[in-house]
Amino acid sequence: MTLEAAARLTEILLALALIQQGLEHLRGFREERLLFGARTILCVLLILGVASPWPLVGLAGLSLLILHRFQGPYNGGSDRMGLLALWCLTLSRLAPVPQWKELAFGYLGVQLVLSYFISGGVKILNPDWRSGRALRDVFRFSAYPVSEALRGWADRPRVLRAMSWAVILFELAFPLTLLSRPALIAGLAVAALFHLANACLFGLNRFFWTWLAVYPAILWLQARLF
Amino acid sequence: MLNAFRLLLPALIPSWNFFDVIAPSPRVEYALTSAKDAAPADWREFRPRPERVSVPALLTRLFWNPRWNQTLFVVSCAERLADNPTDHSQDELFRRIAADLSPDLDAAPWLSFRLVFLSRQGEVIEREVLFQSAPRPLQDIDVR
Repeated sequence: MTLEAAARLTEILLALALIQQGLEHLRGFREERLLFGARTILCVLLILGVASPWPLVGLAGLSLLILHRFQGPYNGGSDRMGLLALWCLTLSRLAPVPQWKELAFGYLGVQLVLSYFISGGVKILNPDWRSGRALRDVFRFSAYPVSEALRGWADRPRVLRAMSWAVILFELAFPLTLLSRPALIAGLAVAALFHLANACLFGLNRFFWTWLAVYPAILWLQARLF
Repeated sequence: MLNAFRLLLPALIPSWNFFDVIAPSPRVEYALTSAKDAAPADWREFRPRPERVSVPALLTRLFWNPRWNQTLFVVSCAERLADNPTDHSQDELFRRIAADLSPDLDAAPWLSFRLVFLSRQGEVIEREVLFQSAPRPLQDIDVR
């Protein structure tokens, strides 16, 4: 996959993810409807490839207004990954020489790997995660489970301990998938299932679409480096 | 604009430490009173979870999940408010609670909210109120 093809695919997937989020805001307050209505229009222009790179530049500028409006990301980590992807794509498009374009887009791929590896690293250092206690707490009293019935999972400590270790080991092992193309594709498929589970259990649907949008960046980087 | 770049920086240099510790978790409760100086008594949880969510509903929410995502933003505002109180966080909470209420509230036009944080101490889940707002007249809250 060439840099151009990977960046274009990431642009389209990111635009679709941002449109999905934007439509959700169209039932919000007036100023949200204006901001996200404008963002949706820019995303459509981006998908159509009209006036490149200005829709990306407009989206990057608009992202600052949206950050100001909510005094931070609206939905934490998923919005942060969306912002990272948007700014890396914009900088890559605007970069004057090919090496800088590669650097900006490659940074996005590196951050995707780190998003799994560091998450696994901080968990394995925490005794509550190693014992399954942390995941029990997530189900028992955190704000994330989408229904009361899901809180019952907190009473299955062995299952949650196994789930904790599965997540930790997968996240820590993810960088090893870069060693071969089939391993990376398999790793990304498992990661997508992980995000799908988080979307269903904890309502984190934005993570699913935003992380998927960044997958072309790591597929390109793997081919570039190995 | 400088503030917006400051807010952007954690996205450009992310920490990726999701769920590194399971911090005390906020619940937003609100109460309506008939007068500004009336003590709120009937606290109600803002958007309590349903008992169950069907599989089709879970899958639909992959594509359309505005209410839950807004609830997660409310949780963020609650955490920010407990950590570093600002008018912005308080205004957001007032607006989103007021927007959920029935418009016919003449009998109890004053809205208050409080933030109850749940945490585990040993095997016991403890509740602690870390913030309670001053009452605000509903008619002054812009929900458009």
